[in-house]
Amino acid sequence: MLSIPIEYYLILSAFMFIVGVTGVLIRRNAIVVFMCIELMLNAANLSLVAFSSYHGNPVGQIFVFFVMTVAAAEATVGLAIIIAIFRNKLTVNVDEINIFKW
Amino acid sequence: MELANLYQSINLIIPEIVLSIALIVLVIADLIFHTNKKIIPFIAGTGILVTAIFVINQFNYIGFAFSTATHTARSFGMLAVDSFGVFFKLIVIVSSFIIVLLSLASDEIQKTTDRIGEYYALIYGMILGMFFMITATDLILIYLSLELLSLSSYVLAGFTKLRDRNSEASLKYLLYGAVSSGLMLFGISLVYGLTGSTNLYIINTLIQNPHINLFTLSFATILIFAGIGYKISSAPFHFWTPDVYEGAPITITAFLSVASKAAGFALLIRFVKTVFVSYETNEGFWSLIEVFDWQSILVVISILTMTLGNFSALWQNNLKRMLAYSSIAHAGYMLLGLVVLSNQGLIAILIYFMIYLLMNLGAFLVVMLIANKINSEEIDDYNGLGFTSPLLSVSLAIFLISLTGLPPTAGFIGKLYLFIALVDAKMIAVAIIALLNSVVSLYYYVRVLKHMYLVKATASTPSIIPSTSNAILLLVLVVPVLIFGVYFQPLVEFAKDCIVILGI
Amino acid sequence: MEQNLLLTYLLFTPIIGSVLVLFIKQEQKNLIRWFGVLIASVAFVISLIVYFNFDASKSEFQFIHQIVWIQSLNVSYYIGVDGISLLLVLLTTFLTPLTLLSTWSSIENNLKMFTFSILFLEAGMLGVFLSLDIFLFYVFWEAMLIPMYFIIGIWGGERRIYASIKFFIFTMAGSLLMLVAIIWLAVYASQLTGKFTTNLIELYKIAPTITQQIQGWMFGAFFLSFAIKVPLFPLHTWLPDAHVEAPTAGSVILAGVLLKMGTYGLVRYCLPLFPQSAVQFAPLISVLAVIGIIYGALVSMVQTDMKKLVAYSSVSHLGFVVLGTFAMTIESVQGAVIQMVNHGLSTGALFLLVGVIYERTHRRDIAYYGGIAKIVPVYSTALLIASLSSIGLPGLNGFIGEFLILLGSFKSQVLDNWWYTVFAASGVIFAAVYLLWMYQRIVFGVVKNPDLKNHLTDFNKRELIVLIPIFVFIVWIGIYPSTFLNLTEAASQSILNHVSSFTFDFLK
Repeated sequence: MLSIPIEYYLILSAFMFIVGVTGVLIRRNAIVVFMCIELMLNAANLSLVAFSSYHGNPVGQIFVFFVMTVAAAEATVGLAIIIAIFRNKLTVNVDEINIFKW
Repeated sequence: MELANLYQSINLIIPEIVLSIALIVLVIADLIFHTNKKIIPFIAGTGILVTAIFVINQFNYIGFAFSTATHTARSFGMLAVDSFGVFFKLIVIVSSFIIVLLSLASDEIQKTTDRIGEYYALIYGMILGMFFMITATDLILIYLSLELLSLSSYVLAGFTKLRDRNSEASLKYLLYGAVSSGLMLFGISLVYGLTGSTNLYIINTLIQNPHINLFTLSFATILIFAGIGYKISSAPFHFWTPDVYEGAPITITAFLSVASKAAGFALLIRFVKTVFVSYETNEGFWSLIEVFDWQSILVVISILTMTLGNFSALWQNNLKRMLAYSSIAHAGYMLLGLVVLSNQGLIAILIYFMIYLLMNLGAFLVVMLIANKINSEEIDDYNGLGFTSPLLSVSLAIFLISLTGLPPTAGFIGKLYLFIALVDAKMIAVAIIALLNSVVSLYYYVRVLKHMYLVKATASTPSIIPSTSNAILLLVLVVPVLIFGVYFQPLVEFAKDCIVILGI
Repeated sequence: MEQNLLLTYLLFTPIIGSVLVLFIKQEQKNLIRWFGVLIASVAFVISLIVYFNFDASKSEFQFIHQIVWIQSLNVSYYIGVDGISLLLVLLTTFLTPLTLLSTWSSIENNLKMFTFSILFLEAGMLGVFLSLDIFLFYVFWEAMLIPMYFIIGIWGGERRIYASIKFFIFTMAGSLLMLVAIIWLAVYASQLTGKFTTNLIELYKIAPTITQQIQGWMFGAFFLSFAIKVPLFPLHTWLPDAHVEAPTAGSVILAGVLLKMGTYGLVRYCLPLFPQSAVQFAPLISVLAVIGIIYGALVSMVQTDMKKLVAYSSVSHLGFVVLGTFAMTIESVQGAVIQMVNHGLSTGALFLLVGVIYERTHRRDIAYYGGIAKIVPVYSTALLIASLSSIGLPGLNGFIGEFLILLGSFKSQVLDNWWYTVFAASGVIFAAVYLLWMYQRIVFGVVKNPDLKNHLTDFNKRELIVLIPIFVFIVWIGIYPSTFLNLTEAASQSILNHVSSFTFDFLK
């Protein structure tokens, strides 16, 4: 049976990761930054699953379930905090959230 | 066999189980007593004390919990219980207990009576996360415990919602934290890809294989370090620290600066020791697997951390923010103990942590008591306080002198052992850079003394007399700082008993 | 080993006293003053008992008291005296009650804290002179910084904050280098003998075996720390600031005792621990010392502020001490030790005298005064004696020290060049110029400011009580120095023997 080589998965995963990191660095909207962080997590998930199938052991897949749970929790907390700050400042642009110097 | 393993494992995690039960009790109590929440802090305090008893019981008890490994004859677990872990758990427990007491004295926290149950529940979440971080020997558990700690602390950093800066601190903490844990997770996935395992001990044996892809492994470990470095606020992952420390409620700031940092250090030390050290020499030096030069990287990071921390602290006018930078610098000093890769260095770190706990919590306690009264943490507002509020000012002076590391305070002993470890490892140049840093730190700590004592008090200088209970708490922190400065034998003995890290 | 608790009593008297002071009510100012003087006097009496029971013919340390302190580092509480340290201990306990007396009326605010600081400082200084364990020494050395910082910073003059921080940072930077060197020594000892040690007597045997190059670095670290304290040119810049801004009592303690800790450190640590390096660097250090002598004198000459003038004269005088120490002959080392005491007495007296008129007029600029001989004749006489003693007039104490140092450095095999002596001697002449010129401008001539007549009064009884004992010793050392030279001879000789036993080749 023809299977997709692991390199393909890894390249895609690396690409997603780089997109995520770049997004975090250059985007200024807190929600978009947050989405980019999710992208980073998903890149890691993809490579974990790929490696899991490559090594033929299930640890990576189990890990992915945990990561998905954590990501959901993180999104909940994150959005709550973003809403709290939006109520105070009426903006979600990280450049304008600057009582402290960065 | 499996059942026996499970039973034994549960025995080993009794402190964590007690904590979880206490957490549930807290949440239920919050629902039951929603009109009168005075009882909540006592439940929280009691839970911590009970946990402390079980942690102390674990002393000298060694073992792995939840063994998973199948492909080697020996089995390794998800968790390692050893005296090193017990030490850091005790640090976390003691500081948590002090934080509960601090919260009782903090106006900022007391104003949020209706949500006080959540506050303690989240603190329990942090403690639980730290406990698992301290004992974890599996990458999955490391990641999960790190996230448990982080998620609870994100919320706590913005807990009071009183001022804009609260939620801003929270957001910054969250963004930096999520990014660094994302980096860490990617690093973990690469390590898993290279070795096919998430257990630290198995990874250790597998990366001794000369055919391993060094570049990927180095890259992955640097990514993993991003996650840990963020927790201990070492350069270059320290940017969140000053903002979060300044913005968060002061009890949480104190907690983050001591307990969270301790857990981060425990994780870092265990990670380095179990993954990258192949054997220990007779003199107690750790021999690194020649993956890549961890040592030089750690040297650079620690020097960078302390230098950035100290020099940035020079310009701060907010005492809380200054203490944040100073805690970055102290993380740098403590990293020096790891840099030398020896048992001597590990002892130095442990001693430093015991002292750091006392002096840092003490300093934050004084800042909080003063802020309760004058509602400000600006150093300019401390003018002349030395003459109107003698107890607080003398205590703060002692804590700051101790943070500088001058005898006859305990801070000196901490630095002394670090320097001994450095000289022992023949790293004189690093020692000299560290001591030049101490001189820089002297300047900004003394600046606070200057405002308190050298500027004359005016009629408007407030006189702040702490309540009896707070004064007792203060003395409980001040007196050991002085006593351990002169008689530190017990600290050293205790630290020596606690350097057992479960290894292969 | 015979244990003797006398020195422990001496050391702990001021410590316990300083703690007890804290329990006296702030309002009872006179009680605080009397208590402070009482404690300091008790310490002086104990040190006299030590003196009368001291056997000057022996070069070993006496009154030794040793208790294991920290087992894991093999650090012990280990104290004892030899002739050199005894003399400096006496100087410390002698000057402390006098400084407390001298501030009777000038310090009003936070008197309790002031007394606490002075007593704590005394304990620190005694600890430095008494320690025979290098770690114990370091603890005392550093612990003293904090009270001195507060003395300058709280009760000082206008620029006190700048001066106190400068003092703090300079001295701490130096001493931290020493800490690394101390740790290195202890680790070296542990590699050599298998046992970590900070015992000075054992280190005397171990340290000279370090290879020459590393010894140079160790010597440098110790020397730098002491040189900042002395202060040796070009590290002296903190001194004038600290002196000028410190209150009178602070200046007296600073000049009288604190600076001696630096020179004492050179004699007690730098020479015997690192003899080869000491001999190797002696010419270089002596050059700096001679530059210091001349530079200090020249700068003194152009000062318009009396306190600053006396402060710069300290740089000059301490240059003599360093020169004497590194000439390494018995005459010069004994001269250096005597000169430490002399400087403590005569500069201390000068600062007290400046303090006396400053208290009355609140002016320190020389130009303000003139012709005060007619208004305050007794004061003018006292100022003359103190100035002459500082210049080194035969018959007064300064002469003995400077003469011995010049004689010793002339004969010195280590320096082996009489130009040092020639240039150093010119310092004596300059001293005569700047001090007598100051004296002439202040005391003689017509009264420039009519204010003076209203404000300036002669000594009161308290001030006489403070100054007379100092003058007694100024004359005593000048006329009959043997009392003091006998005390230090055996100890100085043994240090020199120790040095030459390791550096025989150099001296050939």
